Amino acid sequence: MKTLIKTGLSILCVWAGTAWGAPITFNTALPVHEGGYVLREQFIYMKIADDPTPAQRDMRVSGVMSVLGYGVTSDFALFGMLPWFNKRLDMTMGGEALTRRESGVGDLTVLGRYTAFQRDTPGRTLRIAPFLGVKAPTGEEDARDGFGRLPPAVQPGSGSWDALGGAVVTWQTLDLQIDGQAGYQASREAKGFQPGNVLRIDASLQYRLWPRNLGADVPAFLYGVLEASLAHSARDRIGGADDPNSGGTTLSITPGLQYVTRKWIVEAGIQIPLNQHLNGTALRNDYVITTGFRINF
Amino acid sequence: MKFKTFLQRTAIAFSLMLAATGVLAAPLSYQLRVDGLACPFCAYGIEKKLNAIEGVERVETNIKDGAVIVIMQDGFTLDEATARKAVKEAGFSLRKLEPAQSVPNAGPR
Repeated sequence: MKTLIKTGLSILCVWAGTAWGAPITFNTALPVHEGGYVLREQFIYMKIADDPTPAQRDMRVSGVMSVLGYGVTSDFALFGMLPWFNKRLDMTMGGEALTRRESGVGDLTVLGRYTAFQRDTPGRTLRIAPFLGVKAPTGEEDARDGFGRLPPAVQPGSGSWDALGGAVVTWQTLDLQIDGQAGYQASREAKGFQPGNVLRIDASLQYRLWPRNLGADVPAFLYGVLEASLAHSARDRIGGADDPNSGGTTLSITPGLQYVTRKWIVEAGIQIPLNQHLNGTALRNDYVITTGFRINF
Repeated sequence: MKFKTFLQRTAIAFSLMLAATGVLAAPLSYQLRVDGLACPFCAYGIEKKLNAIEGVERVETNIKDGAVIVIMQDGFTLDEATARKAVKEAGFSLRKLEPAQSVPNAGPR
């Protein structure tokens, strides 16, 4: 069942690393100025249900992702991402409804991003930036309740050191911005559970809705945002064996809005699955609502 | 020549002389053409880096034209190498620096 969290929460945890007028659900190649910081707070609410089994599992996750980016140089930026989760799993067992829940700080991800290609022209920029990171097991991964140890999906942390990497390309003009990203997260085993590795391909279009015409200063921009995400998760492994009810492929879209000023950005989007090919009885994402802000300093 | 006319002409000549030597000149300002600048959030980094240069009075950005006007304090000038470094540190590219008003041939301070 970890898969349902993995594909859904990837919006919050691994790929939401950066700032700027940028995608809502993943990264960008735009710069953090040297010696500067960008703080991002992202709030999410996720519902995962449609359980085909008699257990009628229904999971809801709310959380906050805090991201701090620092421009080491104009080409190299470091990001630290720390989530806080409140997870709740409702299910039926033996004809009785039961709830299992946990909240707490999740795993810390540290990510480095290097601008390997940059081509600037008047009012336009094209950049390609590979990134590499590590996720440290800072979150609780052995939380228990009256029924025993909570399932991995309800634990705030994974308990494992994981690696992630990929590359993002950004093409920005005064009117619109297009971002694309390919990323891979390799997870390791902890306490007999190993989440399946995740491959994600993302694309984002941000189009300036307002102001329609630019004047002789720096007005705030209102962007309409449309993003697509294709995520494939391998099967989880439990006790060294594949879990047949885990893993699969999800295609989602995220329409949203972004209001961008010099100093801050506010944004909101809702991720809706278009197509889900999940293995066995793996739960399906219903939707993910994300809102947040970013501050430049 | 009447004394009043003499005084007027002397005052005009003196003013022109002061202007020519820069004593009465307005603060120097420069126009930077910055490539790659395409959103408000990015403009912040450029303005922050340019404002950190010694002698910069204020910075005004025209995002539509990719132009950044840097107004200097009295007695300060801005050279291209310093401006290029600041723009580069912000993550962008300086295409051109040109005086927005007449600038004497003085080096950076």
